[in-house]
Amino acid sequence: MLSPAPNTTTPTEGSEDDVRIWRNPLTAWGGAGAEPEVPTIPYKDPTEIWAETRKSGVPLLPVGRLRYYYKWPGHGEKLWSKLRYWPTRRRILHVRGEYNPKTLRREKTIVDKRPIWWALGLLALALAPFAFPASQLNTLLAAGAFFGIYAAINLCWMLVLGTASIFSLATYAVVGTAAFITTWLSISLGLPWWGLPIIGSAIGLVFGVVIAIPATRLDGFYYSLLTLGLNELCRVYFVQSKIFGSATGGLYGADTYVPKSWSPFDQSMLGYYAALMLMCGALLLYRMVDGRRLGRILRMAPEKREAFAEATGVDFRRARIQVFVVSSIALGFIGGFYAAHYRGVGFSIFSFDTVLLGLAMLVIGGIGRAEGAVVGTAVVVFLDKVLISWGPLRLFAIGIIMLLVVLYLRNGLFGIKQQFRAWRDKKKSERRSARAEKGGEMLPEEATETSNKDLVYWRRYDKIQRDYLKSLVSSELIEEHKSNPLGQHSEALERLLLYFRRQPLPDKYAIQVVQPFKAYRIVALSGHRGVPPRVVEDKLYPSQDEAYHGVFMRRVQDLLES
Amino acid sequence: MNWPYVISNAIVLACIYGTLAIGISITWSSLGLLNLAYGFIFALSGYGAWLTSQYVVAVTPDALRGAMILAGGVATGALGGVLVCALAFIPVHDKPNFTIRGMIATLAISLMGTQLLLWWFGPRSKSLPEIFGASKRSLFGLVLTADKIGNVIVSIAMLLIVLTWMRSSRRGLEIRAMMMNPHAASIVGIGVRRTSFYVMAITGGLAGLSAVLLSQTYYIQPFNGLTPMIKGVSIALCGGLGSVPGAVIAALLLGFNEAMTSVALGGQYVLMTQFLLIILIILVRPRGIAGLLDKAREA
Repeated sequence: MLSPAPNTTTPTEGSEDDVRIWRNPLTAWGGAGAEPEVPTIPYKDPTEIWAETRKSGVPLLPVGRLRYYYKWPGHGEKLWSKLRYWPTRRRILHVRGEYNPKTLRREKTIVDKRPIWWALGLLALALAPFAFPASQLNTLLAAGAFFGIYAAINLCWMLVLGTASIFSLATYAVVGTAAFITTWLSISLGLPWWGLPIIGSAIGLVFGVVIAIPATRLDGFYYSLLTLGLNELCRVYFVQSKIFGSATGGLYGADTYVPKSWSPFDQSMLGYYAALMLMCGALLLYRMVDGRRLGRILRMAPEKREAFAEATGVDFRRARIQVFVVSSIALGFIGGFYAAHYRGVGFSIFSFDTVLLGLAMLVIGGIGRAEGAVVGTAVVVFLDKVLISWGPLRLFAIGIIMLLVVLYLRNGLFGIKQQFRAWRDKKKSERRSARAEKGGEMLPEEATETSNKDLVYWRRYDKIQRDYLKSLVSSELIEEHKSNPLGQHSEALERLLLYFRRQPLPDKYAIQVVQPFKAYRIVALSGHRGVPPRVVEDKLYPSQDEAYHGVFMRRVQDLLES
Repeated sequence: MNWPYVISNAIVLACIYGTLAIGISITWSSLGLLNLAYGFIFALSGYGAWLTSQYVVAVTPDALRGAMILAGGVATGALGGVLVCALAFIPVHDKPNFTIRGMIATLAISLMGTQLLLWWFGPRSKSLPEIFGASKRSLFGLVLTADKIGNVIVSIAMLLIVLTWMRSSRRGLEIRAMMMNPHAASIVGIGVRRTSFYVMAITGGLAGLSAVLLSQTYYIQPFNGLTPMIKGVSIALCGGLGSVPGAVIAALLLGFNEAMTSVALGGQYVLMTQFLLIILIILVRPRGIAGLLDKAREA
């Protein structure tokens, strides 16, 4: 058989990599030259490749496209008993029940956990006064009341800005006008405090109709400019008119719901909880408009897609007027409450900075979500009202937060989750396509399109195998095949030949006898019955063994090229 | 009514507002950015001019002092424009929801910038020396002060220079291409980012110019830029965003209105009549006056 390569030493225990011993499995049957152990040329162990492939550098973390949900135990009998808001059939929690296909047990999944977070958050707000530090109690209670009122205003604003996607800046004009007029009425006519929000709502209704009419005609910045102009107009009017106290910086002296006989602490507590109740009312309104028919219609017809909405039969103009009127009535109500809470109103409610801070609240939280309006308001109010010792720096901090949010977040703090998921998916697919090598594995797009997933794995296996077989090809191996094309070979050559022989029939090389024992030619089979093989080359081989070797060389060539 | 007086006042105001509005209009039409940090640039360049008048003017010859202050204001304005561009335009211009996000970013810059100015220079207002001198001139029975004449001449000259430059230079051609169609401009190799720096520097310079011109009558304060900015934005919108002739017409209309109101009704009603007029114009022509003249960029 084959002699060991001249530069290798005799086989020993320690140098198995250099010269290998091939154990002949056919020894048991005997035969000519069937020696039990034959030294063979060095070759790479196929198990190494397998181990290397398995030892992937990519950490297999338990993250992915599938989202994790805690599975609550369920009971088959309780299948249909769900908690519902009383007169409606709406569920409080969206719980999905299903059978686990592996354990065959009943399971419950809470699909939407937001109601739980809302309940916890509102509970925290309700209990917060008892956790405030005593040194800052007054500041924090005042800031809490301010937060409640501004959160309510922002929720109504969000209905216009987020749900209807109309960039209206007249919100504080409505609130301020209602507050000023109700304060004036309360002072001059002695209106009681509970009348202020009602009168305010009526003023809001008028204002809403006034600002809704141009909204059907104008769009984009033209409308926001118009509303900003309206805001300036209100400011200039109220600042300059004598009856609204142009000299005192505001109009004060309205009737209030806070009893004068109470201690200051009780008064602050009452103010805090009243503002919180106002916010809850605004949340309810938001839910009623945004989560129901009107909100659906408005979200279907955002700016620049009105034509499509109209073509599908949506009367978006009517919906816009409705949402303007509803939110303006609510804003007027809040204006009346504002007057009753602070016993009046200052001109600063019309200032550009107020509009700017309100916009900052919405943008930081995320436009189009109730939780965005509330949390954004909390952030800005905390910076603006609690950290007063910072001076002008606190407004600077609000500006920085606003800028960072706008530059880096697509939709405020509450859009982070979605944005992070999108980013992670992008990175994942980038890495996946970077891992996939050409000519081997299928690309991700290709793999998802292939119905037979075995093919995906087979392609990967074939790639690994070919890479391995390429490493086996050497001049000694070719020499071995040349000296003995048929019969027993070393392990490396045997592996190579097995791979070649197992290839599919189309385009497989074969030997055609041109003249027996004299001339042979290499052809390629067509693989189809009735279609003759094609001639690959003109060369004629004088013997069969040489032709075999010719075929082998062509296959090796093809392998190295693949 | 003293018509020559009204008309002269109207022209002066129209010149200053036009300078502001054309800056906003150019920014919008070429970059698609509604620059609400314009008020901040305005205030910043006022302070730049004031610093120039405090520290640089002492070493310059008398004849050049006015020009020096003017140049200081314009240069600071251009710098402010570049700053706004780097902070608010470059990072978000290719991200989704750019128009709203860009606008809010400029608002945030204006909030931060005015607070910084307040912190640095304090709330006390500053005043500039009279850069056009204190001479008076009589024309058609009308006494014109030097600062009025100076305002009109300087702003018209500056506008003419800018518009000629935009019409005849290579960079101006790039800006005009961006105004026509930003996508096509970027396809033929006009860099959006590079051009945006030119645009913002020029419009910032225009804001600086009008800041120096207006501070001949008003004082320099951190929050002083707000009213001119709102007026500038409203004139730009009124004329049709992105249209220079529309902005000029709107500036003339509103300047005339302001002069008329302050004579007929009193100065405190100026803002009211102005906004009523703007609301009226916008209600009649939802895309601004320029709907008649040329195609305004859609919001």
